Amino acid sequence: MYKKVFCVAILLLILAVSAPVFAQDDVVVRFRSWSPVIATTNAMIEAFNAENPDITIEPDITNYPEYLVDLQTMAAGGSLPDLIGLEPGALTQQYRDHLMPLQDCAVSTWGEDWEDQFFPVGIEQARLGNPEGDDNIYGLPVLVQTINMWYTVPVFEEAGLEPPTTYDELKALADMFNAQGIAPVMIGAGDGWIRRDVYMQLIHNVAPGLIYEAEDGMASFTDEPFVEAMTWWQRLFDDGIFQMGALGMTHYPAAVEQIQAGRAAMFPMGAWWMQQAGNPDPPPLDENLSGYAPFKFPDVTGMGAPEDLLGGIDVMLGVTRDSANPDAACKVITDFISGAGAQALINTYNDLPAYIGLRPAAFGSENQEAVWDLFTEDWLASVQYARQLKSPDVKQALEDALAAVAAGEMTPAEGMQLVQDANSM
Amino acid sequence: MAGDPSGRPYTKMSRANSAMSRKWLIDNQGLFFMAPAMILFVVFVLYPIFYIFNASMYDWDGINEAVYIGVQNYIEMFTDDRSFALSIRNSIYWTFLTIFPQMFLGFILAYILTSGIPLQNVFRIIFFMPAIVSPVVLGIIWQRIYAPFGGLLADVGLEIGARFLIQPYLADPKIAIFSTIFVNVWQWTGFSMLMYVAGLQGLPGEVLSAAEVDGAGTLQRIGYIVLPLLRHVHLTLILLGVIGTLQTFALVFMLTKGGPNHATEMLPTYIFQKAFTLQSMGYASAVAVVLLVIALGASIFQVRVLGSRFTIGG
Repeated sequence: MYKKVFCVAILLLILAVSAPVFAQDDVVVRFRSWSPVIATTNAMIEAFNAENPDITIEPDITNYPEYLVDLQTMAAGGSLPDLIGLEPGALTQQYRDHLMPLQDCAVSTWGEDWEDQFFPVGIEQARLGNPEGDDNIYGLPVLVQTINMWYTVPVFEEAGLEPPTTYDELKALADMFNAQGIAPVMIGAGDGWIRRDVYMQLIHNVAPGLIYEAEDGMASFTDEPFVEAMTWWQRLFDDGIFQMGALGMTHYPAAVEQIQAGRAAMFPMGAWWMQQAGNPDPPPLDENLSGYAPFKFPDVTGMGAPEDLLGGIDVMLGVTRDSANPDAACKVITDFISGAGAQALINTYNDLPAYIGLRPAAFGSENQEAVWDLFTEDWLASVQYARQLKSPDVKQALEDALAAVAAGEMTPAEGMQLVQDANSM
Repeated sequence: MAGDPSGRPYTKMSRANSAMSRKWLIDNQGLFFMAPAMILFVVFVLYPIFYIFNASMYDWDGINEAVYIGVQNYIEMFTDDRSFALSIRNSIYWTFLTIFPQMFLGFILAYILTSGIPLQNVFRIIFFMPAIVSPVVLGIIWQRIYAPFGGLLADVGLEIGARFLIQPYLADPKIAIFSTIFVNVWQWTGFSMLMYVAGLQGLPGEVLSAAEVDGAGTLQRIGYIVLPLLRHVHLTLILLGVIGTLQTFALVFMLTKGGPNHATEMLPTYIFQKAFTLQSMGYASAVAVVLLVIALGASIFQVRVLGSRFTIGG
C-alpha cells in the first residue's frame, strides 16, 4: 500500500516538475510601448494569437514620459523586453546599440522589394539620425501620419464658409469667429510638440526643406526665412488667430475637449485625429468622424502653399538585442504591420498604416471614408519632409523659442538665435 | 582534543582572546542592532548619492558610453543655464509663497474650526480634501479653471460681466509661477489646518482660561499664548514645506510642464526634462547633486537655527 502511494507521489512530482518544461513550448514575447493604447494592443494580440497560438505576447503599455523612464531603467539593468516602441530620430538613436537590424526580418516576410510596400516617409524616417554609412533599419514603422489642419464641419457649414487657403482669409475668419466667441484656431500651445508642428508647417511654407539643411549645418537658423516663419508664428498670437491664453493650455486633453465641444472652428493636428471616431462613446462631432475635415495649412507667403505636407512615423517597433526569441519577435512585428494584428489596429482608425494597402474593415460615414482616402491615396504619398528633428537639444530650443516669442519675451530673431546656439553646441 | 575552529589547542592566550572577543561583542552589540538600518542606508541612500555624483562628472545620455568631462556640467549650470537659474528662482518663490500663506490660512481656519462652531468637523473634512487629491488630477482641473478660453473663471467672468477674471494665468510667463503657487496653497492649506487643529487641541486649557480670567482678549491670547505654544507645529510645517518645495513635480508637470519658456520650471521638473527628454543624464545628475546640497543645507539650517522640536500634532 505504502509502495503504491509512494509511486503515485513520485509520478505526481515528476509531472509537476516537468509541467513548466512543456509550457516552455509557448514562446513569450515581451512588448513594451506607449502606443498603441492598451485596448487596441490587446485587440491586436488577440488577432495575432488567432493565427499564432504558440506565441504569447506580454504587453505593457504606459504613458510616454513613464515609458521613457522605464526604458532607460531596463536598459541600464540589462533587462530590455523583446519588443519596444520607438520614435524615429533621437529615441531610436539613443537605443541603437541595443537594437537588432531588421532588414532580414523584413525581407523574410515581404521579400526583397519590401521597402516599396511601405509609404516612403516611413522608410526614410526609420533611418533618421543613423550615422553615415549605417543603412540599417532599427525599427519598422507601424503607423505613419501627416501634420495638417482640421476644421469643424458644422461650424463652417452653418456660416456657409470654406476653410482658408491664405493668411488673409484666415485672419478674416478669425475676426468673425472671435466675435462669435468661437476659437478661430484652437491650440494647446503649452505643449512643445504642437508649437513645433505649427512652426514646421510655417517654415515648410516659407522655405521647404531648409530646416533640415540648417540641422546639418549647411544653413543657419538665424537666416531670414527662419526669422520670417517665426514672425508668422508671432502673428498667429498677436492677430488673434489662436485663442486667448493658448500658451497656458495643453493640446491634450484641454484643447481637445474644447474642440469636441464644438467651440473651435479650426485646429492643428495630424492624421491621427481620425482615431477620435474609434473611441468608446464618442461625442457627436467625433462619431464616425462626422464633425471634422482636414485641410492644408494656409499659405502665408502669398506665393502659394506647397503641394506636399509634412509627416512622419507615429510609432515604430524594434527588436532588442537582449531578445531571447528574435524570430518570434519578428513574427509579431510584421503581423502588427501588415497582418491580422495590423488589421485590428487599423480598424480603430488609430492613424495611417505604414504598410500600403491596409484599409479599415468598415467606415461609419462617407466623410470618414473620404478623409481616409484623402490621406492614404493623395496626401501621404506626397510627404517628402519629416515633422521630426534629429537633435533633442535643437528640438527643445525651438520649442522654447516658440514659447518665448509667443509670450513676447523674445523677438523672432532672438528666438532663432537661441535655436542656432543649440545647434552649434 | 578540544580546540578552536582552526584546530589549534586552547591555550591561556586563546582563552584571553575569546574573553576579549566576547567583551567586544557585548560592548558593541548595538552595532548589530544598527546593522540592518545601516545596510539599507548604504545601499539605498549613500550608494545612489555616490552614483549620481559620479554620473554628474560625465557627458552621458543614460544608455550609451559616458565621456568624462570633470566639473563641466556644473560650470555650464552656474554660468550659462537660464532654465536652471529660473528653477532656483522659482524654488525660492515657492518656499516663501507657499509655506507662510499656508501656515497663516491654516491657523486661521484651525482656530475657527476648534471654537465650537456648528458642523466644524464637516468643514475640517472639506478643507482637508484637496490635500488627499492627486496633484495630477488637480493639475488637470486647475488648467480648466484657469483657461482664458472656455475655462471656469473665464466663463463665469463673461456671464457676470467680470472680464478681469479672463486672464492668461498660465500663459503669461510673468504670472504663471504665481498661478501655480496659488494652486499649491489651495491644496495644502487644509493640511496646515489639520496640523494646527491637532496642536490647538493639545494646548493646556488652564493656561488659556487663566489668561482669559486675567482679562486677555482674543488677539492677545493668540499672540502671546497660542502661537508660542504651537512653535513645534510651526517648525514641523516649515520643515515639511521646504521638503515639499524641493520635491515639487507632479503639479507643475501637469499644469504647465515647466513652461511657458521655463517660467514655472522647478528643479525636479528640470531634472526630468534633462534626463529623459533631452537625453542628458550626466547634466541632470549634476542638477540633482545641487538639489541634494540645497536640501541638506536647508535641513541643517532648520535644525541648527530653528531647533529640532518637530512633531505631528500636539
